[in-house]
Amino acid sequence: MNNPDFKKMFKRFSLRKWIWSGAALAFLSNGALAGATGTNQVAKSSTDLENFTLEQLVNVQVTSVSKKETDLFTSPAAIYVITQDDIRRMGVTSIPEALRMVPGMDVAQISGNQWAVSSRGFNAEFAQNMLVLIDGRTVYSPASSGVFWDSQDVVMEDVDRIEVIRGPGATLWGANAVNGVINIITKSAKETQGGMAATSVSSEGQTITTVRYGGELVTNLYYRVYAKYASQPGLESSTGNSTPDYSTLFHGGFRMDYEPPAPDTFTFQGDYYIGNDGRQVSQITLAPPAVTPTNSSENNSGGNLLGRWTHTFSEGSEMTLQTYYDHVQQGDGFGEEFRNTFDVDLQDRFALGSRNDIIWGGGYRYAEIDNTPSFDLTWTPELVRLQLGNVFLQDDITLVRNRLHFILGSKFEDNSLIGFEIEPSARLLWTPTTQQTVWAALSRATRTPALFNLDGRLNEAAFPSGPPPAPPVLVSLLGNPNLEAENLTAYELGYRIEPIERLSFDATAYYNVYGKLLTEVPNATVMEGGHLLVSSTWQNLDSGETYGVELSAQWQVLDCWRWAASYTFLHMQLGPDTSFPPETSSPQQQFQIRSYLDLPHHVEFNGAIYYIDQIRTQSGGAMVTIPSYVKLDLGLTWRPIKSLEIGIWGKDLLDHEHPEFSSQETTLITEIPRSVMGTITWSF
Amino acid sequence: MGDTSMNNLNFKKPNLRMGKPFSRVMMMFGLMALLLTSNSGFGEEPSLTKYQVEAVFLFNFAKYVYWPATAFPNATAPITIGVVGTDPFDDNLQNIIQGKTINGRPFVIKHLAPDADLGGCQILFISDSEASRMAEVLGRAGALPILTVGEDEEFAQNNGIINFVVKDGKVRLEIDLTEAKKNKLTLSSRLLAVADVVKGGIN
Repeated sequence: MNNPDFKKMFKRFSLRKWIWSGAALAFLSNGALAGATGTNQVAKSSTDLENFTLEQLVNVQVTSVSKKETDLFTSPAAIYVITQDDIRRMGVTSIPEALRMVPGMDVAQISGNQWAVSSRGFNAEFAQNMLVLIDGRTVYSPASSGVFWDSQDVVMEDVDRIEVIRGPGATLWGANAVNGVINIITKSAKETQGGMAATSVSSEGQTITTVRYGGELVTNLYYRVYAKYASQPGLESSTGNSTPDYSTLFHGGFRMDYEPPAPDTFTFQGDYYIGNDGRQVSQITLAPPAVTPTNSSENNSGGNLLGRWTHTFSEGSEMTLQTYYDHVQQGDGFGEEFRNTFDVDLQDRFALGSRNDIIWGGGYRYAEIDNTPSFDLTWTPELVRLQLGNVFLQDDITLVRNRLHFILGSKFEDNSLIGFEIEPSARLLWTPTTQQTVWAALSRATRTPALFNLDGRLNEAAFPSGPPPAPPVLVSLLGNPNLEAENLTAYELGYRIEPIERLSFDATAYYNVYGKLLTEVPNATVMEGGHLLVSSTWQNLDSGETYGVELSAQWQVLDCWRWAASYTFLHMQLGPDTSFPPETSSPQQQFQIRSYLDLPHHVEFNGAIYYIDQIRTQSGGAMVTIPSYVKLDLGLTWRPIKSLEIGIWGKDLLDHEHPEFSSQETTLITEIPRSVMGTITWSF
Repeated sequence: MGDTSMNNLNFKKPNLRMGKPFSRVMMMFGLMALLLTSNSGFGEEPSLTKYQVEAVFLFNFAKYVYWPATAFPNATAPITIGVVGTDPFDDNLQNIIQGKTINGRPFVIKHLAPDADLGGCQILFISDSEASRMAEVLGRAGALPILTVGEDEEFAQNNGIINFVVKDGKVRLEIDLTEAKKNKLTLSSRLLAVADVVKGGIN
């Protein structure tokens, strides 16, 4: 299942193209990754080959990595791709779970329906420095500066791949692509023809049922429709009590792809979801002054429609126009956010002379964000109209053909909330041999303050200042409409090597310098109404630096056995002010090994072990230590007939239960239990 | 409010912060550079792609496959290589057949939509972009004197004649003689001799 245009789409750093493309990537499953033996024929070009005999031809050694792998191998960025094969074989049921497989990605489950996902530090429930897109549509909330993972659902079986770039991607993706970009890309409808019904049940009571059907409406116009229902009861807390973090989600949608053997292809897709989540939050009252843990039930729903047109002029030259409308209604425990977004993007790529490969484009986004207030969280104004315009230009300059490239570009962005930003990057790519890649990058990225930072007021606590009639004290965090964007200057160096066939290593080192980080600056205590107000206000006064290394390896031991491993180290130093998230909220060291083994009789045995270092996080205002943990998942899949797959997985097998993160909103710490999950997938 | 000029880009910041962490990172960078230089001596690089080799095979098939006379409209009609779906060969196939003749017949390449009429082709390469309708395309080719060639599991399962399989970094052949006979083609024993798998026995 080759991507018809992979050569164009996967070339160099035109990674944005990947969002647009909808074809399958059989990364690393390719039989081409095979060992070399003695009788290799060496030929320099096809002209030599013409004179070869048949016997010589069958012994010609061809490059072992296919082009799509080559293009990953020679990307001047820390990129990692999770394939459908990874998702299926590891029994992954949600996007955050899949992201655990990315080297250096810090994925922690906060509760039954909340996740913290970041790379290179700054992890939190709303990890502000990670930009996340599903099929080219941003799911990053401008109100909270982060992603509501509980509402981000896809049919896992229809995911083509998840591409993750660690490090800044702002030159192509724009603001908030500071520490990474996550692109979730679903398959083209052409790749999901026929029916599929799947159901999975876990020992913790999680059930997921999915139905999908795909067909060809007229020649070359393919469609699929799908529906999915997932539910799970609440998990247990560290004190042995049940928690209110249940969730239910219904998700339905369609995708149509028109893929004629012509220069123009079209995609039209849409989703609708509706769900309900429970969580515990701290409710603040002044009469009497108190902080009361309260269970809240959040209704979340949303829908989107997206259209995309790609015109291919020639090999290496194409233009894409994409537009979407997205509606989101999201509860956050204190109120609700209603967001309507309209977005249009144009991107064009062409070769200028023989040495310049240009990508340029622009986009416009209009979003109306309406936040309903509660006593805990108020907004001034409640309704915000956000306009965002951008243009970008990147030139991939060939200095020495097949050896040395210099890639220079910048995004120019105008945000109606905070003004104009430039996000340039310069990358050098050196491929001394086909088995080695060296790259270095210098980039700048910015993070737009959340509406919460600009316009929000969070009442964090209330308590009596003394025996009555002493006035109560209210502790508040105040927004600051004059904030500027946080910025990052990142220095990255990467090295990839394939010392022998079937074995490859990837190493990245980075040094990040953050400026204008937000910090809470205390104000003088004043009387406000009948209470004392102890407040602090967001200011761009903090700074910090991080550095780290990310090492990973892929080893195809045998045709039927593949290994993947990674180790990452992170050092964070923020200050001098206390900042959020705290610098201890991301693990210093992480380690993982995954094994994929094909057994006879269509049985696969898969396993993964993860080590995550200790962290210290905020739990309802206090700092708590989350101990390091080791997570072992083992799974067996069996395909008795071609159309049926049965899978069973044991997850978190090494301990009865363990916490992975904590919530600022509650002192309740959720434990992630050992579980067993069974899945049946029927294709028809 | 935001940065409005190139002077404010903070690129100079690290100079102000050449503290301990930065030098440690530099040391790591240095180690990586060392690793790189010590490993730079690799042998001869195979620079050919599988499609360059497959293109030469397609040309060679014309030498080692015998078509019935009815496959061609006349004695000098060209050998037509049809490519169904995405053409993975770039210019390789065109460069190889350029100006070549076999038994007095020149070559022509035709790019075909999957639902196009396959008549008039002697060799048909079905790209794996058409995996989803492999059975349908091969079904229509099955009634004609056409040598079907593919590079896909679907292709082999749906009765294609010659399948390219990359094994140990080499392009190997799997041949289904039963299907070749159905299409009234005769394959040279030299061709069969280099195939890894021959289904349907050697006559």
